[in-house]
Amino acid sequence: MTYLRRLPKFAYAGPTTLSEVTALVADTAPGEILLLAGGTDAILQMRRRERTPKTVVGLKGVAGLDGIAEESDGGLTIGATATLAALAASPLVRRRFGLLAEAVLQIGGVELRNVATIGGNVAGALPCADLPPALMTLGAKVKLAGPKGARWVALDEFFPEFSRTAAQPNEILAAIGLPKPAPGSAGTYLKFHDRHSMDMTVVGVAAFVTWDAKKKAVAEVRLAYANSAPTVMRARQAEAVLKGQAPSDDALAACAEEACKETKPRTSWRANGAYRLELIRALTKRAIRRACEKAQARPGDAP
Amino acid sequence: MTKPLVPVTLMVNGERYDVSIPPWRTLLEVLRETLNLTGTKRSCGEGQCGTCTVLIDGKAVNSCLYLAIEAQGKAIQTIEGPAAGDPVVERIQHAFANKGAIQCGFCTPGMIIATKSLLQDNPKPSEDEIREALVGHLCRCTGYVQIVEAIQDAAGALAAKEGA
Repeated sequence: MTYLRRLPKFAYAGPTTLSEVTALVADTAPGEILLLAGGTDAILQMRRRERTPKTVVGLKGVAGLDGIAEESDGGLTIGATATLAALAASPLVRRRFGLLAEAVLQIGGVELRNVATIGGNVAGALPCADLPPALMTLGAKVKLAGPKGARWVALDEFFPEFSRTAAQPNEILAAIGLPKPAPGSAGTYLKFHDRHSMDMTVVGVAAFVTWDAKKKAVAEVRLAYANSAPTVMRARQAEAVLKGQAPSDDALAACAEEACKETKPRTSWRANGAYRLELIRALTKRAIRRACEKAQARPGDAP
Repeated sequence: MTKPLVPVTLMVNGERYDVSIPPWRTLLEVLRETLNLTGTKRSCGEGQCGTCTVLIDGKAVNSCLYLAIEAQGKAIQTIEGPAAGDPVVERIQHAFANKGAIQCGFCTPGMIIATKSLLQDNPKPSEDEIREALVGHLCRCTGYVQIVEAIQDAAGALAAKEGA
């Protein structure tokens, strides 16, 4: 009866600046420290004793880590502890990065979105996370802060394997950066799950296209998948199949077929691998069609 | 590890509580076991059912997934709110009782707190918006129809009061 269980014992640190956080993380053994942002996943992992840290470092009080700011080049920088509710409510996100708002609103309910953070959703490195596919197709980079300063890593190179990130043990995910979307671009995130809401993703597909109105073709396309491999992944070969093509039934079918070859969905009690492949095939086509419709509905806009 | 108690100050329903608790206690555990505010219920312990919902700085949150130590310095509101004089919660409670939105009552505290949070942001929610706001709340008795009606009723009554 795990639900009645206490959390495992730990010491708590509540730093107020990012440099205090990196100092606390420095020179600690793997698993010794748990960075607690929203905690909607981490607390459950502790209750299940999957993680039993010596010290929990709470990030809710770190100043300036939850900002959502527009950059001078039209890009967006989102602090790691920005909540999903803050993202969904941000006029900037809704207007310019609609795909992200769409993905956010498919996660949990009000109570979870009020505390869950974008950083937690990404740094957890779980294949079922819904934001990484959307962020990958938007061309996201992650900012890793360490004792010697910060570096940026492309999100599609951030998940080398299941449940692991490219961050060094003494680095923490501080922010997520999104470039300015190209004119005439739009995306969508389709998530398949059994229940209407509050459910784990069986397969999630993000598609982001830049529409060439003159050629009536897909100038650029990015596809990324949740729960279709041990990590969230881009399907670059499938993207290459569609790039420059008109989104005809044949072109979409060829692209979806390639996506099925590239992904490696697993069998679990939630769904078996063959079923997930069917989902990948169907949702890839549907997501690209919807993204194209959206992009065409806003021709030539400079987002 | 022995129990290293840490001093924590919590503001609950406008009242100040100074407690000594282990850092691994959730807000739900401290509300129920240390402060004896047992109106907030524990059910799934996973953020699925919503019975433990409280407001932290006005935002609905699952208190089973929130460390008490992190609620320090924030305004916490629980279902015990009316005792501390919250007319909005009281009005929602009346609507739930009048519309038959309560059977066993276990989900009700969470439902009412979620309703307060919803009506704060959206005083005239549509049925869809009400259902969307309640996706994180399970009720195994009513089938939700009366709950939606109660929330519409409360919204109407509060709007009328506002206009008066």
